[in-house]
Amino acid sequence: MTMPSPTPARPEPHPDFGPDFARRCYLQMLTARRIDEEAIALQRQGVFPAYVSLRGQEAAQVAGAAALDTERDFAFPTYREMGVALAMGVDMVGYMASHRALWHGGLYDPAASRFAALNAVVGGPVPHAVGWAVGERLRGGSGCAVAYFGDGASSEGDVHEAMNFAAVYRAPVVFFCQNNRWALSVPNERQVAGGSVAARGQGYGMPGTAVDGNDAAAVHHAMARALERARAGEGPSLIEALTYRVEPHSTSDDTSRYRDAEEERAWRGRDPLTLLRARMEADGSGDAAFFERAEQEARERAEAVRDGVSTAPEPDGADLFTHVFREPTEELARQQRVWHEEVRP
Amino acid sequence: MTDTTERTFALPDLGEGLVEATVLEWLAAPGDRIGRNAPLVELETTKSAVEIPSPYAGTVVRLHAEEGEVVQVGSALVTFAVEGPAGEADDGAAGQAGIVGRVPQDGEAPRRRVRLRPPEE
Amino acid sequence: MTGTITEAAGAADASAPRVREMSMQQAVNAALRTVLREDPRTLVFGEDVGALGGVFRVTDGLQEEFGAERVFDTPLAESAIIGMAVGLAMNGWRPIPELQFDGFAYPAVDQIVNQLARMNYRSRGAVPMPVTLRLPSFGGIQAPEHHGESLEALFAHVPGLKVCAPCDPQDAYRLLLQSVRCDDPVVYMEPKARYWDRRPVELAHDPGDMPVGRSRVLRRGRHATLVAWGAMVHRCLQAAEYAAEDGVELEVVDLRWLKPIDAEGLAASAARTRRAVVVHEAPLTAGLGAEVSALVTERAFGALAAPVERVAGFDVPYPAGPLEPQYLPTIDRILSAVQRTLEYKRP
Repeated sequence: MTMPSPTPARPEPHPDFGPDFARRCYLQMLTARRIDEEAIALQRQGVFPAYVSLRGQEAAQVAGAAALDTERDFAFPTYREMGVALAMGVDMVGYMASHRALWHGGLYDPAASRFAALNAVVGGPVPHAVGWAVGERLRGGSGCAVAYFGDGASSEGDVHEAMNFAAVYRAPVVFFCQNNRWALSVPNERQVAGGSVAARGQGYGMPGTAVDGNDAAAVHHAMARALERARAGEGPSLIEALTYRVEPHSTSDDTSRYRDAEEERAWRGRDPLTLLRARMEADGSGDAAFFERAEQEARERAEAVRDGVSTAPEPDGADLFTHVFREPTEELARQQRVWHEEVRP
Repeated sequence: MTDTTERTFALPDLGEGLVEATVLEWLAAPGDRIGRNAPLVELETTKSAVEIPSPYAGTVVRLHAEEGEVVQVGSALVTFAVEGPAGEADDGAAGQAGIVGRVPQDGEAPRRRVRLRPPEE
Repeated sequence: MTGTITEAAGAADASAPRVREMSMQQAVNAALRTVLREDPRTLVFGEDVGALGGVFRVTDGLQEEFGAERVFDTPLAESAIIGMAVGLAMNGWRPIPELQFDGFAYPAVDQIVNQLARMNYRSRGAVPMPVTLRLPSFGGIQAPEHHGESLEALFAHVPGLKVCAPCDPQDAYRLLLQSVRCDDPVVYMEPKARYWDRRPVELAHDPGDMPVGRSRVLRRGRHATLVAWGAMVHRCLQAAEYAAEDGVELEVVDLRWLKPIDAEGLAASAARTRRAVVVHEAPLTAGLGAEVSALVTERAFGALAAPVERVAGFDVPYPAGPLEPQYLPTIDRILSAVQRTLEYKRP
C-alpha cells in the first residue's frame, strides 16, 4: 500500500479558483474522464491499436493547465497529457488521431494550439521548454513554458540538464512532474532516489513543491504561483503533483504482474473528480443541477470526439513525403515517383 | 421503415499479441437491443478477464461462439443489426494488437502482382 | 529450404526436450536462460525486464529464476543503462542490457559510440567490452512513434561494434548465444514483427557451424539473389514463392550478421545467379543496402548481368499505422526490382 510519501502542500485555493473556475475545471475533468473511457472502449473494439489512460490524473492535468494563458504560454507534453490538451482547447479529434495511429504527433496544429506535438520520448521535450522560454524572453514576450514529465522521465538526463539550464538562464519555465507512482512496471521506490522529485529543485536553485495531485485546487494554486513567479522574471519552478496511474500503463499492460490490486482500489477511492465534487457541494459552487448538466455535456463531447476520431479518414500515402523537408530534394521526389508507380493503392 | 444493416464484430487482439480468447460469459443474447459500449461479452485471455463493450448500438442477431469456446483473433464474434443503410464494408478483423501495435498478418498478397519474365539464358 | 545449416548437437542435459516449437520471443528467452545458467558473470537489465518480464515478455520469468541481482529493472535512463554496462564490463561482468525500443537507443548513442565501442581499442586490449545490447527493432507492427526504427546502418558504421539481426526463432536463439559468448560488444537487433512467429527450435548449446559473420542461404535459386535481414527475410521468401509461379527462381540470403558482413557468401551467391537485389526497412540513403551493393559489385563484378538493385524504406520518418504498409518494401516492389535485373541490357 503506497500513498504519497513526501508531505504535499495543501494551500488555500488561489484567488482565481472561484466558483466559475471550479465549475469549468470540473466540467473539463469530467470530459477528460469520459473521453478516456471512450478511448479504452475503442481499443477493446479494435479501433485503437493501443491507448494510454490518464484516469486519476484529471486534476493534475486540467486544474494545472487551467492556470495557463493560452494566448501567450506554451505547453510541452509527453503522451499522457490528454487532460492538458483538453484544457488548452486543442482539437480533440486531432489529438486522439495519434492514438488511432493516424499520424504520429497527432493531427492538431501544435503552433496554433500552443501545445506541442505529443511525444513518446519521455524527457525529450523538457529541454525544448527551456529553449522556448529563453527565446520568449529574448524576443521580449511574457509567455511561460510548461514542461510536462512523469516520475519515470525524472530519471532521464535530459530532464536534469534542462532544469540546470533553466535556472542558469532564469528562464520562465514551470517543470510540472506528474508523479503517478508507476513508470510502467517500476515503482517510485525503484525510480526516484531520495523519494522526492520536488526536492531536486533545491539542487538546481529553484523552488520545488510537492502538491496533492488529486486535489484540483492545490494543483491550480501551485501552477498559478509558479507562472506568476516566472512571469515576474524570477526564474523556473518545479512542481511535483503526487497522483496515481489507476489504469495500466497502456491497454496492453498487465498490472497484476507487478502491483497489488488493493493499492489500485485505494487510489480509486481518492478519485480527483469525487474530491472536487465534494468540495464544490460543500462550498455551494456546484448543485445537483450543475452536476447533471456537466455529465450530459461531458458525455456528448466525448461521443462526438469518439465518432470523429473513429471515422476520420486515413492519411493519403503521398503524405509520407510531403513534410520531410520545407525545401524538397530531387532524390526524395524520385522516391515519391517510385511510390507512385510501385506502391500507391 | 428504417433500413438495418448487419455488422459483424470480429475479436480484436486485446493486447500483447494474443491470438485467441475464451468466451467466459455472454452479457447479451440474440434479440437483445444493446447500446453502444454496453457490456457485451466477458472474455478470458491468457492474462485476465476482459469485458468487451459493444461497438454498436443495435440488435444482437447472432453470437458466433458458445460460452467456454476459444475464439481466434480476427474471427467473427457477434453479428448486430444496426440502423442505417448498408454502406461501408464490414469492419471485419481489426488486426491484432501487440503490446504496442499490431501483430502483422501473414500471407498478405501483393496488390499489383508484378509479373516476372525469366531471362533468356 | 534451410540451406547450409547443420545444428551441432549440444551438451545440454539429456532429459530436456531438444526440439520445441516456440515463438521468437520464447527463443530469445530460452537463450537468455541458457547464458544466465552457463555463465555466472552474465547480467540482464533494462526498463521493465524484471517483474514485468519485458514489454514483449522476452525476459519473462528470468528474475524469478536468477534473482533480482542478476536480472533487474533500471530507472528510465537509456544513456545510463549503457554507461552502466560499460562499467560492469570493466569490473569483469558480461552485461546483457536491453533498450526497450529501437527509438530509445538514440538517447544512449553517446555511450554506445563514444564509450562502449572503443573501450577495448583505447585500452589497447586491456579492457574488453563483452556486452550484448538487445534492441527490439524495425517496424511492421503499427506501433507508436519511435517504436519502428531501423538503426543497423548507424551501428554498423561504428568501429568496434558488431551487429546482428535474426529472422526466425532458431537463429534468434543461436545468434544470442553467439553474441553473449563474443568478447566484443554486439548489438543484437530483434525484429518485433517476427516475435510471434512460431517454429521448431533446437536448443543446441553450440552454435554449430555458423561462426560470427556467416550468412546463410534459405532458398536456392538460379535467376537472382535476394539479400535481407530481420523481418524482410520472410518477405523475400514470400516474393520468391510468387516469382516461382512465373518460372523465376530466386535465391534468398539471410545476412544475419550486419557487421561483420559475409562478403564472400554474398559474392558467391550473386556470382551464381548473376543478379542481386538487397531489401531493407531502413531508409534508402546511406542504408546498409549500399554496403551490400558495393561488396557484391566489388567481388562479383565480372559475373553480374545487371547492377545490384536496392529496395528500401523511403527517406522519410517512420510513419504511423496506416501508412506503414506503403513505407515498408512490398512484395511488388521486390518483384519490380527483380524484373529490372532480369531485363537489364548493357548499354
